[in-house]
Amino acid sequence: MGDKNTPLLAVLQLLRKYNLKGTEDILRKEASLGDVEYENLDLPEVELASILTAHHTESDPYSYEFAYDNLKKFIETSLDIYKHELSTLLYPVFVHMYLLLILYDHNEHAVNFLEKFGQEQEDYCQEDLKRLSIVKHKDQIKGNELAEIYSTNKFVVQLSRDASSQLKRFLHEQKSSTVIINIINNHIQVEVHDGPGRTQAQVRATTGGMLGEATRNENRTKVYYGLLKEPDIQVLPAPVEDEEEVEETPDKPKKKKAKKDNIFMKKPKSDPNAPPNDRIPLPELKETDKIEKGKALREASKRIQLGPDSLPSICFYTLLNSGHTAICTDICDDSTLLAVGFSNSNIKVWTLTPVKLRGMKSAEKLLDIDREAGDVLVRMMEEKDRDTCRTLYGHSGSVYKVAFDPFKTLLLSCSEDSTVRLWSLQCWTCLVVYRGHVWPVWDVRWSPHGHYFVSSGHDRTARLWATDHHQPLRIFSGHLSDVDCVQFHPNSNYVATGSSDRTVRLWDCLTGTQVRIMTGHKSTIFTLAFSVCGRWLASGGSGELIVFDISNGSPAAILPPLHTAPIHALAFSRDGTILSSGSLDCNIKLWDFTAITEEANGEEPGANPIQKEEKFLLRSFATKNSPIKGLHFTRRNLLLAVGSYEGSA
Amino acid sequence: MGDSEFAYGSSLSVDSMKVIAESIGIASLGDDAAKELADDVTFRLKVIVQDSMKFMHHSKRQKLSITDIDNALKIKNIECQYGFIQPDSLPFRFASGGGRELHFIEEKEIDLSEILSAPPPKIPLDVSVRAHWLSVDGVQPTVPENPPPLSKEAQKLESVDPISKLSKPTNKDAAGKPMCGKAARLKASESVHVKQLATHELSVEQQLYYKEITEACVGSDEGRRAEALQSLACDPGLHEMLPRMCTFISEGVKVNVVQNNLALLIYLMRMVKALLDNQSLYLEKYLHELIPSVSTCIVSRQLCLRPEMDNHWALRDFAARLMAQICKTFNTSTNNLQTRVTRLFAKALQCPSQTNNETGVGPSMVTSMKESEKTPLASLYGAVQGLAELGPEVVKVFILPRVRWLGERVEGALSGLGGADRLAAGNLKHQLLKVLAPVVRQLRQPPDLPDDYKRDYGYLGPSLQQAVSKVRASPLAGGGGGAVAVVTCTPPLVPAAPSPSHSHAIISHAPKTVETVASRNVVISASPAPQSPAPSTPPPQKYVIVSQQKGPQTQPASGASHIMVHSSQPTIVRSQNSVVVTSGPAGGAAPPQKVVVVGVQPAHHQVPSSIPGQAPVSVVAKPVFARGGGGPQPPPELDDLSHLA
Repeated sequence: MGDKNTPLLAVLQLLRKYNLKGTEDILRKEASLGDVEYENLDLPEVELASILTAHHTESDPYSYEFAYDNLKKFIETSLDIYKHELSTLLYPVFVHMYLLLILYDHNEHAVNFLEKFGQEQEDYCQEDLKRLSIVKHKDQIKGNELAEIYSTNKFVVQLSRDASSQLKRFLHEQKSSTVIINIINNHIQVEVHDGPGRTQAQVRATTGGMLGEATRNENRTKVYYGLLKEPDIQVLPAPVEDEEEVEETPDKPKKKKAKKDNIFMKKPKSDPNAPPNDRIPLPELKETDKIEKGKALREASKRIQLGPDSLPSICFYTLLNSGHTAICTDICDDSTLLAVGFSNSNIKVWTLTPVKLRGMKSAEKLLDIDREAGDVLVRMMEEKDRDTCRTLYGHSGSVYKVAFDPFKTLLLSCSEDSTVRLWSLQCWTCLVVYRGHVWPVWDVRWSPHGHYFVSSGHDRTARLWATDHHQPLRIFSGHLSDVDCVQFHPNSNYVATGSSDRTVRLWDCLTGTQVRIMTGHKSTIFTLAFSVCGRWLASGGSGELIVFDISNGSPAAILPPLHTAPIHALAFSRDGTILSSGSLDCNIKLWDFTAITEEANGEEPGANPIQKEEKFLLRSFATKNSPIKGLHFTRRNLLLAVGSYEGSA
Repeated sequence: MGDSEFAYGSSLSVDSMKVIAESIGIASLGDDAAKELADDVTFRLKVIVQDSMKFMHHSKRQKLSITDIDNALKIKNIECQYGFIQPDSLPFRFASGGGRELHFIEEKEIDLSEILSAPPPKIPLDVSVRAHWLSVDGVQPTVPENPPPLSKEAQKLESVDPISKLSKPTNKDAAGKPMCGKAARLKASESVHVKQLATHELSVEQQLYYKEITEACVGSDEGRRAEALQSLACDPGLHEMLPRMCTFISEGVKVNVVQNNLALLIYLMRMVKALLDNQSLYLEKYLHELIPSVSTCIVSRQLCLRPEMDNHWALRDFAARLMAQICKTFNTSTNNLQTRVTRLFAKALQCPSQTNNETGVGPSMVTSMKESEKTPLASLYGAVQGLAELGPEVVKVFILPRVRWLGERVEGALSGLGGADRLAAGNLKHQLLKVLAPVVRQLRQPPDLPDDYKRDYGYLGPSLQQAVSKVRASPLAGGGGGAVAVVTCTPPLVPAAPSPSHSHAIISHAPKTVETVASRNVVISASPAPQSPAPSTPPPQKYVIVSQQKGPQTQPASGASHIMVHSSQPTIVRSQNSVVVTSGPAGGAAPPQKVVVVGVQPAHHQVPSSIPGQAPVSVVAKPVFARGGGGPQPPPELDDLSHLA
């Protein structure tokens, strides 16, 4: 295609876009363009704009500074009730002006413009501005992740009705310069809400997403955040144990039993917010799983009630001699096994109890076993006790997450080599390699009911898998950047994802659609945790910790940023009263979650929360230079933490 | 561009591009091309660094590593850069010339045969898991695995600004007990709290610990003492007990200096040493108690019952080293610690009529002075030792100008009658020579003429000349003469770690070395020659001779004179340069007692039977613990001092 023809083609494309057939034909004839070229009209949007703007009247670089200054003045002089909402406009306008300046080849002006006004943008925008400032030439826009996101998506700004009419009036007055009007029309989506103008804190609570705030409409769908009705499993093995216990403590058996019943009776009450049990097909519980569940319930009855007055004990597992190689850890549900993924592609599994790790017998020997025997599960294992630590080899890149399945027989791992692997904890080999992600897989999590798992990665998607399918069942795409963490909802019906685009999203496993988009984070989100009741979602980023309300998608509490480094571990106590957070700054902090939820419930639903002081923080525990990599509450509410010691230097 | 350049990133310069182009053989790169390249390379590099940040975060690190960059290249389908696995950061070298400035990485040529022949590197230790309690019911136990409950910075802040403690919410840090139950409710309901600036109460456990530690530190069980000192030196949670520990030490020194209880003073100094070694303590607040105690142990005129026999010199040396450590650790421009300590010692060296001495008035001046006016020789020794530990520069400025006067004192004492004085003078002389020789060696040019030295340094001149020429001759003395001198006379600080080969060799000679028995002056030769009470034993050394013969009831002032080293079959335990001779009981009626005898100059001089009674240096407030002080019970066993010296 000749250079001379490119502008003509661009004009043709534009004409076609606006469906001006007559003009299009005339121009085609006049320019005597061939059919081949005509058929291949698919210039990218960016290029189109750059070609057309060669003749653009708005390409006067000085008008931008002037226009931005005007907008700023208008916002500064507007009433306080509008000011804070309107000020959210400044950043997207600023960004698009910068990109336009670069697009029109005013590179010098763009740099000056960035320097002049860049510093006065909100602090949480600075990170993005730094990334954007790399782009100094229009050729670079195409390759730059951030610039592409900005130019292909609309930035969402929420304004109250009055504020938006103020804005309209201002734009009408600015007849001389159409720069801002064009930017607002093309790149900014103004969402008008009926409430009164929001305060600075309220605005700040929800801004920060890469594309502004979440719109209300996106969060309208009903989410069944309640818990599933648990099948009755304690009937089988529990009574036996109960009697034993009664014998052990003959003093007041009645009381104890009554109390225990109380714990069990709470759940079956049907929750109006719970999804139907068969909304998602869940696997049948196997006999062994039932035994495991029974054990869990019995353990749960011995649980210590935690609260601000009775803090949990913390047992800290330090990984020695690991340096920076240990990346991720997981502790299985009954707290007997610890898995650690390393940057040298290994996975190590330690036993935390005196019971050693045993392998399964070889296939020939397994044939000899009587399958009907009651103790078949014991018989199929090697007789000799084996090691306290086993290593799993198979990945060819750093292992970013390991996860035990709820029944302690399987282990999932995801790696930089873009695969997810399923390992057996009985024969200690890899069972399945799940390929599907194109780039490194950052996180993988089991469904609380097993069978399903979800993974997320650099390819900006999260994928839902079932262990018996080699392809994903659902692909959740919509994030604008890496999906850094995922988490299954306790009822297995939803998946939450956190991303580098600074949004948390909730996806419905049944339909595969996005049901919530939650903004408020000002940095990448590294870890997510659902509360025990299923209504709250805690998310941790670089020092910040936010609790979202799933029912309406708004931030319920923004905890003070007391961590000074990324938070990579979050865990709720089993009774849901304490939230623990572990960070790379070698601190574990305990938060009073009861108070957080009470505060959030006390407010009007939908009203925006206020910044919380330090009153939610119960306690902070420092380690000796061991960044926290994992947290886990045992069934009895003992907190286990894992970190790798990085030396005294 | 100024600040904004940092705010929104820097970029590669055109010059860099040209240099890089040159290095790959493109001689003249056009300005435009270089500019274009610089922009492009900057863009690409930044994109790669951005992506590698993601890998860093997901590896849960806060430091970017080379593997992160490799991974970022990999997802961009660019081949990784090989050969950049480097354990430490690459240092940039700087060079300028021809109007250009250049930063570059040095590329060393690696000899492959060297790598091949080198032994394989050690296999790294396997990763292991270790569990400990980070918190028990919300309280962080102060075990070594946990960080100190109050960081050094916090302790410092607290001492500088006690108000800061009030403003901080106290129940948030992990150290104390969480507010719970009734207390919390009470606190919430009451509107007025009286908060104390410092917590004065110790928990029961802490009180027990304090009792155990202090008892073990001054008790007779050496094993327990070692454990207690280890605990003091390592435990992270001592800061609440620190004021009490320091008071214990300072009171203890006060009392025991009066009692002349050498062993306890040594134990207390070892406690100071342990506290100094504890990394988690902020000792600045208690220096006002520690420094007087330590300096007392350096310059006090009498530290033991029998100055002519007990090795209080080792205590002085040890305390001097402690003082140097304190100065080195805590000296700041605001507290001027080192200056003050130096002044303290220098004052001890000041002779009462210094002006006269400096103009060179002869020994008549000294003799005309009353005995009591003079600084005792032991104190002079301590002051010299204290100054010497502070470095050669201090020696040059403060000791060297006074060497003439010191020499006169030494001469006077050596020619005098007092046995203790004679011993002290010998020690002082030896110490002076040892300290001064390396300094003088630096100051003076080689032709060392005895006459010059005599003229410049008085009585000590000739000996100094010998010492200097010996230092010059010694091949080890290059540059660090002082250090060598110290090494020859002081065994390493680490207790119970004498070099085995050394001690074995000497033990084999040991039974023969003691010649004179039942005499007050024990002469032991340091040379392996079996029998030699030779007065001219070349290097003067310290000996600790312990006899289990119990002397008559000891009295503070004159007890030393009665001691007989009475041994039939002496056995010698020797470590480094100190010899400890123990002998079985010789049928004495009294229970055996250990006596420490120190001889520096193995000379056949009569030791006078009395030493001048002198007032103690420090004032006693109240006896804190006075084992064997005044009472009929025997004084505590003196232990082997060799670990101190």
